[in-house]
Amino acid sequence: MTDRKPGVYLCKGCGIAESVSMDAMEKVATTENRIPVCKTHDCLCADEGVAMIKADVAAGEVNQVIIGACSPRVMTDRFDFDGAVTIRANLREQVVWSQPAGEEDTQMLANDHIRMACAQSIKTKPPLPKIEGEFSETILVVGGGVAGMSAAREATRAGHDVILVERTDQLGGWARKWSERTPHRPPYRGPVENDVASLVSAVEGDGRIKVMTNTRVTKTAGMPGRFAVTFNQGGTEVTETIGAIVVATGWRPYDATKLGHLGYGASPDVVTNVEMEAMLANGGLKRKSDGKAARTVAFVQCAGSRDPNHLPYCSSVCCQVSIKQALQVAKADPDASCYIVYEELRTPGTAEEYYRQAQEAGVIFVKGKVKSVGADLTVTYDDDLLGNDIPLSGLDMVVLATGMVPNSTDTSAEAIEPEKSALQLKDDIDPEAAIAIAGYAGEAPAAPERPERPIPEGGPILNLQYRQGPHIPMLADGFADSHYICFPYETRRTGIYTCGPVRRPMDMAETAEDAAGAVLKAIQALKNASGGVSMHPRVGDLSFPKFGLDICTKCRRCTVECPFGAIDEDEKDYPILNPARCRRCGTCMGACPVRTISFDNYSPQIVADMLSSVEIPDEFSGKPRILVFACENDAYPAVDMAGINRHQISPYVRIIPVRCLGSVTLLWVSTALEKGYDGVMLMGCKSGDDYQCHFVKGSAIAKERMSKVGDTLKSLMLEAERVRLEEISIADSSRVPEVLNAFSDEIVKIGFNPFKGF
Amino acid sequence: MTAPAPDTTRKYDLAFAKWVYKNVNGGDKLSMCMQCGMCSGSCPIGVQMDYGPRKLFMMIRAGMKEEVLSSNTLWNCTSCYRCVVRCPRSVPVTYILQDLAAKASELGYAPKKENKRFADSFWWSARLFGRTDERLVTAKYYFSFGLSEGIKRGLDNLKIAMGMIKAGRMHIGMPHTVKGRKGLQAALKKAAEIEARQSGV
Amino acid sequence: MAGVTSQTILVVGGGIAGVTAALEAAETGYDVVLLEKEPTLGGRVSRFNRYFPKLCHPTCGLEINYQRIKKNPRLQVMTMAEVAGISGERGNYTVTVKTTPRYVNAKCTACGDCAKATDMEVANSFNYGLDKVKAAHLPHEHAYPMRYVVAPEAVASGEGEKIKAACKYGAVDLDEKEATFDLNVGAIIWATGWRPYDPQKLTSYAYDLSPDIVTNVEMERLAAHDGPTHGKIVRPSNGEPAKKVALIQCAGSRDLNHLPYCSRICCLGSLKHAAYVREQYADATVDIYYIDIRAHDKLEAFYNRLRRDPQVNFVKSKPAHIIVGEDGRPVLCGERTIDREIYKEPYDLVVLATGMEPSVVGGFAPTVGAVVDDYGFVLPEIGDGEGIFSAGVAGGPFDVSMSAQSATAAALKAIQAVRADGA
Repeated sequence: MTDRKPGVYLCKGCGIAESVSMDAMEKVATTENRIPVCKTHDCLCADEGVAMIKADVAAGEVNQVIIGACSPRVMTDRFDFDGAVTIRANLREQVVWSQPAGEEDTQMLANDHIRMACAQSIKTKPPLPKIEGEFSETILVVGGGVAGMSAAREATRAGHDVILVERTDQLGGWARKWSERTPHRPPYRGPVENDVASLVSAVEGDGRIKVMTNTRVTKTAGMPGRFAVTFNQGGTEVTETIGAIVVATGWRPYDATKLGHLGYGASPDVVTNVEMEAMLANGGLKRKSDGKAARTVAFVQCAGSRDPNHLPYCSSVCCQVSIKQALQVAKADPDASCYIVYEELRTPGTAEEYYRQAQEAGVIFVKGKVKSVGADLTVTYDDDLLGNDIPLSGLDMVVLATGMVPNSTDTSAEAIEPEKSALQLKDDIDPEAAIAIAGYAGEAPAAPERPERPIPEGGPILNLQYRQGPHIPMLADGFADSHYICFPYETRRTGIYTCGPVRRPMDMAETAEDAAGAVLKAIQALKNASGGVSMHPRVGDLSFPKFGLDICTKCRRCTVECPFGAIDEDEKDYPILNPARCRRCGTCMGACPVRTISFDNYSPQIVADMLSSVEIPDEFSGKPRILVFACENDAYPAVDMAGINRHQISPYVRIIPVRCLGSVTLLWVSTALEKGYDGVMLMGCKSGDDYQCHFVKGSAIAKERMSKVGDTLKSLMLEAERVRLEEISIADSSRVPEVLNAFSDEIVKIGFNPFKGF
Repeated sequence: MTAPAPDTTRKYDLAFAKWVYKNVNGGDKLSMCMQCGMCSGSCPIGVQMDYGPRKLFMMIRAGMKEEVLSSNTLWNCTSCYRCVVRCPRSVPVTYILQDLAAKASELGYAPKKENKRFADSFWWSARLFGRTDERLVTAKYYFSFGLSEGIKRGLDNLKIAMGMIKAGRMHIGMPHTVKGRKGLQAALKKAAEIEARQSGV
Repeated sequence: MAGVTSQTILVVGGGIAGVTAALEAAETGYDVVLLEKEPTLGGRVSRFNRYFPKLCHPTCGLEINYQRIKKNPRLQVMTMAEVAGISGERGNYTVTVKTTPRYVNAKCTACGDCAKATDMEVANSFNYGLDKVKAAHLPHEHAYPMRYVVAPEAVASGEGEKIKAACKYGAVDLDEKEATFDLNVGAIIWATGWRPYDPQKLTSYAYDLSPDIVTNVEMERLAAHDGPTHGKIVRPSNGEPAKKVALIQCAGSRDLNHLPYCSRICCLGSLKHAAYVREQYADATVDIYYIDIRAHDKLEAFYNRLRRDPQVNFVKSKPAHIIVGEDGRPVLCGERTIDREIYKEPYDLVVLATGMEPSVVGGFAPTVGAVVDDYGFVLPEIGDGEGIFSAGVAGGPFDVSMSAQSATAAALKAIQAVRADGA
């Protein structure tokens, strides 16, 4: 960009002109800030208003359009101009809709919004993307089971080359062993043909898929569009350039030898559901012990699953698998008797039809918790419905419906730096933590002592050469991320997507679908990488953090705190960015103690300029000033919606949207207090076990940083209460005014900032 | 109300359930029960039953033949059909209970029970008049216990009877009959013949 | 196969599945048209107070998605538009779109002057009719597009003229008419979602007999800060706190007389409702009546969290019927299957966990290139020529995460279908 040419455009519509003086704001722009172009319009977003701005931009008079109108959340597309940067001053939602019209305080707030926007423009540059070097469009799929093979096929059908890596000597995974599969299409009744063999041949016959069996990934470096992945195929190492990665390592059955109380090991006729598949696939059910036909079979559900001592989660598929196996037994031998002993029968969705099918076939469902299975195959359980302990005896076979354990690590590989890896794997949220929603927190019973869960054994799947460790991020239950409900493919390692049972227990049909979803995200990642734009949630953002290495102290805070592992350290310990891994949250910027990390359009300096531009009345005016940094995705919209509902907010508050609380540097807080603000509030998303921060750790990191602010304040002889972090959700439009007004009252009580005027 | 304890030494045996599925009218649908309790909760006289229909069905699956066939549940059903209408699995509960009662009677499980006496009295009236006459059904039922017991029971309930007469719930005079009583009796006779033929007696 | 003549992907339905599918396809570089029948995007989830298991707010993810839409020129959103016909084949579908009038055009700035100009009120469909709203209104505080709507009743009664006169920006257009037009698209993602099963069909649950018997979707509105009670969970009959609450599972679902399938989300939804009640009242008790608690996969942890609360009770029983007691409270009747006790239990508030009925039931369903099963779920045909895919609950009873998952997968399938070089 050549010279900056700011122009201010003020809208009189939506009640702005009726509430505040346009002349006063114009004066702020032209006189105070010496902005050469300043125009007003009755309805800036109307065609004429937009045309007016467009003409100025086209004429080369303006390349920074400063809009004083509605919130930046609306009319975004209207106020988007080729060849100019747009900066918005939120006069509507956050001034005239939340303040009384015609008041002096309202005018001061409006003027300050214009001041902040003008100050923001000073250092703002149009971001230029960082695109260097070659990019690969090849997708690596790790794992050759249903998930991996489906992913590979989906990727080639979308036009991408695939390398499919399988650690064993053949494709197919567990599904290769299945006799039949559960139905997933109408009429959702009997077991259907297991079509894995045709998927295997489709993969093998696909010229765009390079299948590598007996292969492990030994190292993954680089970034989306340009991962350098090293494979070890039977002792030979090769390195390939990869665009994006789909991890489809699947699952393994829970170790039945840990289920001694359910008779496993005591009798050869107590088998797991996986062993049962093999027996059924061989045709005719014969007892292992004596080769006699098994005619009376009991299935023990939740063998390991839903048990705090084993797998805390429900493995989701076992009810349907037992139904399938019972139906197979019944079909082969109409006189056979099958019992399914369950605690909660889980056939969600259309699988309910499958449950009915089993009942029609005469399978008996018995509700109760199994206490033990004896060597004589007697199943003892609490029959909930008959109200007694009833031994289920005279059985020929007992099948334990064992659950799924995610292969989020490679158990057959050796751990790398075990202690460091263990830290990475343990450092995560607890899915069973006490429910902490407003009000409930105090009343809810505390979570039980979190059982010591074994750290997943083995080595990493990808051996990521990231500062954050070699493993793909996983949650405390051992499954791979994501922790987001709306964004199931969100990942902390951009360009690396998990699918199938490594992510969540799921059946074959859902796994195939999940593979397609993961492939779509992988394609997006490599496309975005080559275009130099960000992935979700700041989709399309071209800006990226720049490091002023001249004053960098090599403290490593940026590399350590990055939630996405985007920043490596070079051989001299300086940070180097992998831009395609970066999500542009600015957590590195907030971390840097020497403030040498900045974006073209978002930096410590830009925000410091903004907050410094606000006019601070002296202590005799009786008008305190409170600075608020609000997360732009949640807290800021909540303030907007307070305005939409015409809730009144304290006129002393000045709000600056931030990309994430993680980007808030302590410099801003200290600058604000030096400038005479009486209080500072950070409004961001919930952190902790049920975190809602879109950048995973941003709000948690901000909380951590702010916990240390108290000491700084004390050293300045300031009250710790002047700086506060508040968790605000997007649904807090009614609460936001209360929180801000209460803080404002509290600040008045504490008294004015003694630094005011210095 | 307290159910007799099931025989905990007994083995689970599907033979009885399979017998019910095959031989009892509607029994083939019994396997569809998912033990939700809708039937027992809906039953207007569920509290009078040894077991509600839901539990009875579970007992059938558990092979508890003795307990099932000698329970009063089979006899207390008033055929209001609430359970049948509401059952989420379309189990014809009423039919199953009715036919189980018939089978229990055949197998000699129920004769000493009061329910059997009542059912016989009820059936006697229905066959004779084409409808039930409260006085005659009650009288026949009471006197089936013997003369003195019949008088005693009658006196015990005199107040209720007077109340019912006052409220117009019980009439005095000749028993009401249906039109075409002869035809009804012929139909019933024919039905009995068919039933006898089907059950191979 | 006549080849691909249009590479545009049409997404039908603007709930979480449709929005996700549209965005994922557009952000991968394809042109997308997104149709939504209602005045705003967001569908069912925008009416939820929180999601299970994190108890976070749906608007949080929707906000991100709406910002993504605003930034994406490849994605065109049409509200108050639905599909009336489909013909053609993969790569070349002709879709007839029917639009209903909003009576407000794109000039609307959402200033709100129109609402101020009228006193006429209509039932608030966003809150399932639990309260009223001005005849000219913003559908809700998080509406996207942020544009007002004029109720047809106002136009019919002449009140529309007053509303029109109040608009400074010429945005009120009372002459808008129903219209149809054709779109040429290469692939279709069917994401029309679901509606709550009609509780009036559950006659023994007396929904009509007491205002204190509500559905699970109404419970979401009662708990929402922008709902009819501003988030206070109270008895609709008298506004008193609802401190003894019954949640009835499978109200319609798993029932051959109603919805034969399991709706999957209701158990988890009710666990969430228990948390809502306990959040507001320390002395409240919640009884959950159920057949099986289906907290599938990792959601088991959420079940465990609620099970630890001694004031949340799990009663294995499908209640037989509800009567209205003498004090006006609804009374649940049924059999507790575990101890075989017959109960008659009065409650302040009874919530029916009604199931999900596919929106296509009783309306338009794609029959060309897709299969509609007996329940009304839409599935793609099997084969290589498929060009119609379903996303979210249109394809089966899914939770939000699974809907987003299926929507992302559908986006890829649609992209494969419109790629010029074919499969």
